[in-house]
Amino acid sequence: MASAPSAAPAIAVHQLVKRYGDARAVDGISFSVERGDFFGFLGPNGAGKTTTINAIVGLARIDGGRIEIFGHDVSTAWRQARRLIGLAPQEYNFDRYLRVREILMYQAGYYGLRPRDVAARIDALLERFALGVKADAFVSQLSGGMKRRLTLARALVHDPQIVILDEPTAGVDVELRLELWETLRALRREGKTIILTTHYLEEAEALCERVGIIENGRMVALEETAHLLRSHARDELTITLAHPVQEPPPVLAHFGARVDPQDGARLRFERLGPLELSEVLALLGRAGIDVEAVNTERATLQDVFLELTGRGAR
Amino acid sequence: MNLIGLWTLVKREMKRSFQIINQVIWPPIISTLLYVFVFGLALGSRIKGIQGVSYAQFLLPGLVMMQVIDGAYGESSSSIFQARFTYAIQEMLIAPMSAGEIVFGYVFGSVLRTFLIANVIMVLGLVLLHTVPASWGLYVLVLLLVAVLFAALGIIFGLMAEKYDNIAVLTTFAITPLVFVGGVFTSIHLLPPVVAHLSLLNPIFYTIDAFRYSYTGQSDVGLAVSLPVVAALTAAAYAIAYAMVRAGYKLRA
Repeated sequence: MASAPSAAPAIAVHQLVKRYGDARAVDGISFSVERGDFFGFLGPNGAGKTTTINAIVGLARIDGGRIEIFGHDVSTAWRQARRLIGLAPQEYNFDRYLRVREILMYQAGYYGLRPRDVAARIDALLERFALGVKADAFVSQLSGGMKRRLTLARALVHDPQIVILDEPTAGVDVELRLELWETLRALRREGKTIILTTHYLEEAEALCERVGIIENGRMVALEETAHLLRSHARDELTITLAHPVQEPPPVLAHFGARVDPQDGARLRFERLGPLELSEVLALLGRAGIDVEAVNTERATLQDVFLELTGRGAR
Repeated sequence: MNLIGLWTLVKREMKRSFQIINQVIWPPIISTLLYVFVFGLALGSRIKGIQGVSYAQFLLPGLVMMQVIDGAYGESSSSIFQARFTYAIQEMLIAPMSAGEIVFGYVFGSVLRTFLIANVIMVLGLVLLHTVPASWGLYVLVLLLVAVLFAALGIIFGLMAEKYDNIAVLTTFAITPLVFVGGVFTSIHLLPPVVAHLSLLNPIFYTIDAFRYSYTGQSDVGLAVSLPVVAALTAAAYAIAYAMVRAGYKLRA
């Protein structure tokens, strides 16, 4: 319902600084998210993800730098900026005095929308998120999955251009996680710009076109997910040979092949580089080495994360 | 200005008041009735009139003020503290609502609750004691000023509180004692001179004195003193509450 200027990026963060006492929770990070992007914001606990999100949505004051939402500065043009954003926070923060439908109605009201203007939209959201039967229930009567869906419905009630989800699938079962993934993909198809923070790296890998990885308040990686995987991660290839060998053929050793020290019948490549798998097999055939099995292991964002931050996502 | 957002907050506050009606609306009305019966009618029948009216009629405006002060402070302080504690206040903080709209919404919600309570007691006074305000304009004005004053104090303490118990500090150690010695039950002219002079340092004395004037047309210090004092206190409390919300005090990290 809120309009967005055309040329500016959906979100532009310039040299953002947020301090808590002497500590810099966010230390001069910059990034932008284009309209319609699906952006993943990753990092270990305490890295500065939620602080950055809070600065974008107005829950944290900014100590340095600036943030623009479709060109609207969140500090000076905050009314226009906030109308363009919907937030689904990690922690449930529902109004305990309201029922499910009222939660959506009152949230729309805070955004300046009259009940009669959003009634149909709220009905549609209740249906979309399978909350229709609980429309008159209090939040305490909802299951965990329903509460999670309600946070998403509430984030969408004023039809924002940007949807920010802070750990949307934390603590939900696999079935609901896949269901939420499908909903997020549908929102992306509808043209929403989506920002996702997550602990689940496979989630970011499955959904996000671009990712930013933050560590100790600084951005350590910011690029397209596929490119990030190609440039930082290793695709591991293991070839099981019919007979053990002492050394790999010299041409393959040149491209990084090594014999498994525990099992001479296994030949490993950490990265194929310019070689195709068919070329590797042909070279082995020419060297008179018979192959029994081939196993490839795709690099994951987890590998990239470990490489960049030196630890796993927690 | 986000008038719909502001009205949404006022509706939310009223909804909350009615959901806890047995905690916040019936008790002040019932306790006032008990005060009227026990102190006003039973014991008061042995006391000669004060300010030209019966003791029960003298007592009633003081009791209204007592409940308005308690109700206005209790509404905003507990509502904003709960909203902070459950993070529900973030629903408003991320929305395009200004500090002015948030403060006004909480204050207006408190004012509506206290006007409801005050008017029910006023009607009971009419039925039981055959007394009504002599000046309706003054009745509304003082009611409004005092409700805003204590609603603003409620916001201040609701923001400062780290736990629910902190909210009760002002009620237990300041408001309740000051209300009881602030002229609810007696005129300061009936007090020993030293105590009467000390009463002039009690801000709540001026609220009760100004409000009683709307009923009896008489007061201890005169409207020209009490009304400006109440108005100044109200403006100061509102300005502080606004400044705290605008600065995001304990609201925005």
